[in-house]
Amino acid sequence: MSDSTSSTASTTHPTAREIIMGQLRSAISGKLPFAHAEATRTTLSVTVIDNDPQALIERFKVEAERVRGMVYLAENDAEAGRIVIQLLAQCKARTVTCWQHLPVNLDQPLAEVGIQQINGAMADVAGTDAGITGAACAIAATGTLVLEMGPGRSRAASLLVPIHIALVRASQLVPRLEDYIAQQRADGLRVFTDTSNVVFITGASRTADIEMSVVYGVHGPLELHIVLIKNES
Amino acid sequence: MKDNFKSATLIALQDIQLQTALDRGTTRAVNGRITAMGETTDAPALRQQAAHARERALNKLPDLLEQLEANVIKHGGRVLWARDGKEANDLVLQVCQQHGVKRVTKAKSMVAEEIDLAHHLESHGIESTESDLGEYIIQLAHEKPSHIVFPVLHKTKEQVAEVLHDKIAMPMTDDPERMTRYVRGIMRQKYLDADLGISGVNFAIAETGTIVTVENEGNNRLSAGAPRIHLAIMGLEKVIETVEDFGILVQLLARSATGQRMTVYGSLMTGPRRAQEIDGPEEFYLLILDNGRSKILGTEYAEALKCIRCGACLNACPVYQNIGGHAYNAVYPGPIGAVFSPLLAGVTNMPSLPHASSLCGACQSACPVDIAIPDMLLRLRRDLVQQGGQSVGWRLGMKLWQLGMQSPLLYKLGGWGAGVVTQVLGGKAGKITQLPAPLSGWTDSRDFKPFARQSFRQRYAARAKNKP
Repeated sequence: MSDSTSSTASTTHPTAREIIMGQLRSAISGKLPFAHAEATRTTLSVTVIDNDPQALIERFKVEAERVRGMVYLAENDAEAGRIVIQLLAQCKARTVTCWQHLPVNLDQPLAEVGIQQINGAMADVAGTDAGITGAACAIAATGTLVLEMGPGRSRAASLLVPIHIALVRASQLVPRLEDYIAQQRADGLRVFTDTSNVVFITGASRTADIEMSVVYGVHGPLELHIVLIKNES
Repeated sequence: MKDNFKSATLIALQDIQLQTALDRGTTRAVNGRITAMGETTDAPALRQQAAHARERALNKLPDLLEQLEANVIKHGGRVLWARDGKEANDLVLQVCQQHGVKRVTKAKSMVAEEIDLAHHLESHGIESTESDLGEYIIQLAHEKPSHIVFPVLHKTKEQVAEVLHDKIAMPMTDDPERMTRYVRGIMRQKYLDADLGISGVNFAIAETGTIVTVENEGNNRLSAGAPRIHLAIMGLEKVIETVEDFGILVQLLARSATGQRMTVYGSLMTGPRRAQEIDGPEEFYLLILDNGRSKILGTEYAEALKCIRCGACLNACPVYQNIGGHAYNAVYPGPIGAVFSPLLAGVTNMPSLPHASSLCGACQSACPVDIAIPDMLLRLRRDLVQQGGQSVGWRLGMKLWQLGMQSPLLYKLGGWGAGVVTQVLGGKAGKITQLPAPLSGWTDSRDFKPFARQSFRQRYAARAKNKP
């Protein structure tokens, strides 16, 4: 383990790690700085929420739209596809970058309206007009999308494009962030081994750097649209 | 006193634009936090759980750091250790040189600010561009951040427009939205051209080897995800134990910092991109910095290491609200900065900071991890006295005070004398408008009222006598 430093650069100080560790160990030896904290585990959830499936859909919509994530409810896959095409038409998109294996296959609807799919590395997709992704899950209490990157699931589609459209099924809704984490725990935290990047997205990119007044559309997408599909395919 | 806190404060108090910016900014931030914390299940209990999550992590800090390191390496990342700023800067430079890096985009990182990393890279011919909007404005204006979350809080929108107009030819406007869009256009290409992206770390989850960054703009995701190398830099206290601890801390951080329920983006990054992934960095480095932190852990100031850098204590502090961040002349300003900065630099080098507080406790009430900032400020004041940081006059005065307070006779005499003298000075008007130095410190800004003709003890004795 300790040769991690020396393996990176020949001139790295070989003992910095040991010196720091030595100081830390001697600082806590014999007496814990916060002995009273040991017994407590994080168990309390942050938000109050109604777990009823219909209530989750409504809460998600309210929370996401509060932070400029526009939510569209689709009864079925066909309607979801139509909404996506409509959104793309509204922003006059000619090119999109898409995740593979979206909840709804868009290859044909996109081809019909002559929108070209461009996929690949960041430099290749930098100029595309919109990105379309799925989501691993959606968090109702905060209107948050959880995206797990992986094969066919690029970072760019939710990051480098001016318009981000996400397709999510109502069955993917969980009440709180804590519930998503509990799912991962039950799954042995495998997601952190399988993918280099999990992103929580809550609304459209924004800043409050100038006088703390909120401006939407900074470095990330200017617009976020979420198509929530009510029924299973 | 070697520092210039007093004079900087006087300047800040008379800067009308700064006062405007501070009023607008801190008021919004305080209201946002109070609303967002108020709607949680049980704010006091949540604060306690969050505090304990941080404390548990500090209890086992060396073990968690080892676990974090092992997990980062397991997923293909590399871990660098630096004892101080110089070592850290040299390590980053080495990484740059090793990979032939010419251009860097940098997301916001207080640790990078602490060690002045950007300037170090610039001085070695590497172009380093700040990607956070506020930090970019600061970089263009050649200034220093004045807030740990809102670096450009000290500027009005009109002043920001001037900087952008002068430095990058933005057409004049007072609309923050148009300013933001203009900068977006310029930054786009920077991300794609950069060879290496630097980010900070909000939390490092030991059990998975995951680093977490939270942000609203997207610049952090772009800096970490677009260049072929990602280098994240963290103070060694940032490590936490479990993913569940991340779950609560990330939510309290957002609510306390900006009044948001969640920040727009929360990025969990575990090593470089996997073989089958389309994009993301090919190389991932995690630099862990000590820079004096390991020396704080075993002391009565260990609590300062709990801080999650939300900035709530700055916004809530009546001193910060009035003087802003620059007057502290320290990388970490505000109440937590008044503790943390002297701990890093040595309290005798920053003797004014522990006194830059009315000890009202607003900072601790606002703190999502319940750091006892006022207690630590008092301890630092004590340390200052013990280390002889006070002037001869001050020490003599305290000695006299001590004498008077320990002898009933001297106390009585002193009280009587003060009454007579102030009554004479107050004259018919019943107020003293001018006193000689050092007492002029009071009368320069307000009148002094004479002591009452009769002391409490005299009146008490008189009442007791008259009682039937």
